Amino acid sequence: MSTNESDGSEGLLRSIVPPNQIERVFDFCDAHAWKLLAFGAVAGALPPLLGLEQGYYMTVISEMYLFAILALSWDIVGGQTGYPSFGNMAFFGIGAYTTAILVKDFTVAVPLAMVAAGLIAVAFAAIIGAAVLRLRGHYFAIATLGVLLATQQVSRIIEITGGASGKILLDVPPGTVFYYLFFGVLVVEMAVVYYLSNTRFGFILNAIRDDEEKATAMGFNTAYYKTAAWMLAALFTGLAGGTYSLFNTFIDPQTAYNGAWNVELIAMALLGGSGTVAGPVLGAFGLHTVIEYVETAFVGWHLVLLGVVVVVTVIGFPEGIVGTLREYASEMDYYERGGMAAAGDGDSEVIDDE
Amino acid sequence: MAVTQFVVNGLLIGALFAAVAVGFALIWGVVDIINLAHGEMVMLGGYTSYWVLSLITGNAEGTPLLFLATIPAAIAVLYVVGYGLQRTLVSRVIGTDIFLTLLVTFGISIAIQQLAIQAWSANPRSIQVAFGDPSINVVGLVIPKMKLVAFVGAIALTAVLYLFLQRTRTGRAIRAVSQNPEAAALVGIDVEHTRAVTFGISSAIAGGIGAFIATILNIQPQMGLIYTLKSFVIVVFGGVGSIPGALIGGLLLGTVEELTTGFVSSQWTLAVSFTLLIVLLVVKPNGLFGEGAEQ
Repeated sequence: MSTNESDGSEGLLRSIVPPNQIERVFDFCDAHAWKLLAFGAVAGALPPLLGLEQGYYMTVISEMYLFAILALSWDIVGGQTGYPSFGNMAFFGIGAYTTAILVKDFTVAVPLAMVAAGLIAVAFAAIIGAAVLRLRGHYFAIATLGVLLATQQVSRIIEITGGASGKILLDVPPGTVFYYLFFGVLVVEMAVVYYLSNTRFGFILNAIRDDEEKATAMGFNTAYYKTAAWMLAALFTGLAGGTYSLFNTFIDPQTAYNGAWNVELIAMALLGGSGTVAGPVLGAFGLHTVIEYVETAFVGWHLVLLGVVVVVTVIGFPEGIVGTLREYASEMDYYERGGMAAAGDGDSEVIDDE
Repeated sequence: MAVTQFVVNGLLIGALFAAVAVGFALIWGVVDIINLAHGEMVMLGGYTSYWVLSLITGNAEGTPLLFLATIPAAIAVLYVVGYGLQRTLVSRVIGTDIFLTLLVTFGISIAIQQLAIQAWSANPRSIQVAFGDPSINVVGLVIPKMKLVAFVGAIALTAVLYLFLQRTRTGRAIRAVSQNPEAAALVGIDVEHTRAVTFGISSAIAGGIGAFIATILNIQPQMGLIYTLKSFVIVVFGGVGSIPGALIGGLLLGTVEELTTGFVSSQWTLAVSFTLLIVLLVVKPNGLFGEGAEQ
């Protein structure tokens, strides 16, 4: 009697996945986030130690971590701050080339070259950010896409990058090293983003997303916060790029500034749920697994799939998996608690449909 | 090579850019969408013309008249594609976050691109149009005839669109929807249909220009994004919602690119136009002739 009419499928869903259970999982995750992260870090560090690595799967999992880093970095600005960048891969490319050039042409030690990749990407982000972060919406998205294509084109022309034919890097560390590198960066990044999302800094980023003018009117220096977030994203993306060029042992403008990857990582963040910590990471794991399968089973079709995934996600679940679940849980929670109050102590206020 | 020669080349090519950008501006103004798949319409138009010509002559070569006869085919096919895209996919995200609309059109663009690679391979192709004498000389300037034909074609398509918007009933409906969709619906205009028609017309023009581009530059499945971004540069430069602005912006971009090619190197043209884009966006986001994005 107290159920509403649109209960057919939702009733089924509710009996399989009760919303209060989802709510409970979310509550649990929120309360124990740091322990879960530590547990995940230990669990993720184990497989190579136990000798479970098989060349191919090791590479696939390393790539999954790589994409998770990229998606989460995109989300710092795209999801938390609401500035949708189509040019994050510029940081990746700059990081990749920095490492490649330093290692190959200047014989700099590998760890130093990787750190330099992150720092140079941050410096580039600071300069570019001063210009593009003044733009909003359409203009910001297209300007960042322009930045990506311009840097790609410049890498294709100048000498030190090896031009269009790229750079080949031999003499790189073994695969397990990269597994730990990507994994380590991802864990650190998750910790940083999670920590920040509960600080004043994180709240201001979200305030910028929700209403930038109001945030400015409240006296926050939004330009400062936007640029800081943008540089943080560049740091992790640049580190990932710097690691990738050695991991891949080859780098050219097409792979370093891969525009399709840029869409891929946006799709991952959106699919998982942007504006959260777990969302982009889950999205990256899920989508990369599917893409990897399609790439091996139907060679050449994975970008078609990507296009379809993007369109379906955006039209069907703009909130992503985490966002949709959370919405479902909290919405149902409202009814559940209302209903329980009515049944439990017979509160006169809630008795309406008897 | 004299500067005048580069400028003339630039203006000839620039008219093609301008006509593509006019379609892009039309969708932006009326449907309020940045169509990142606009360049793919250029690409599909080029391939349509290429295949129709191949079907008639056995290979992609033909007389000027035969080539011109394929243009209506490209226009018609792309009208249907554009109308269908708007009706089936794009209409579902109108009114949501603009970022989502960008992502949907980008998704469409990637999917079309990859399907085209599957269908036609990534090799560049071109249409050969046979002229008795390929170029004419005017006061020391060399003007390739095909470029001249394409220039006239591009200007003609832009002019026809302008007249269509100004003079016809549908054109008035389109302008009404661009100014105020709610009010347009109140006076009995089918807004959804009008938006789809706009999308169709805009794609059709891009398709027609794609056919011309196939005769002058190459066509290949991944060419689209460049044209989309060039359109964006031009529209930002000319101002959103201004056809004359887009025309001038296109001619200017073509000239800048040809001058870069002439004096620096053809490799730098893209880097120069994208840098120009970023500078323009930062300095003057409403464009030189713009009335602001709202209008």
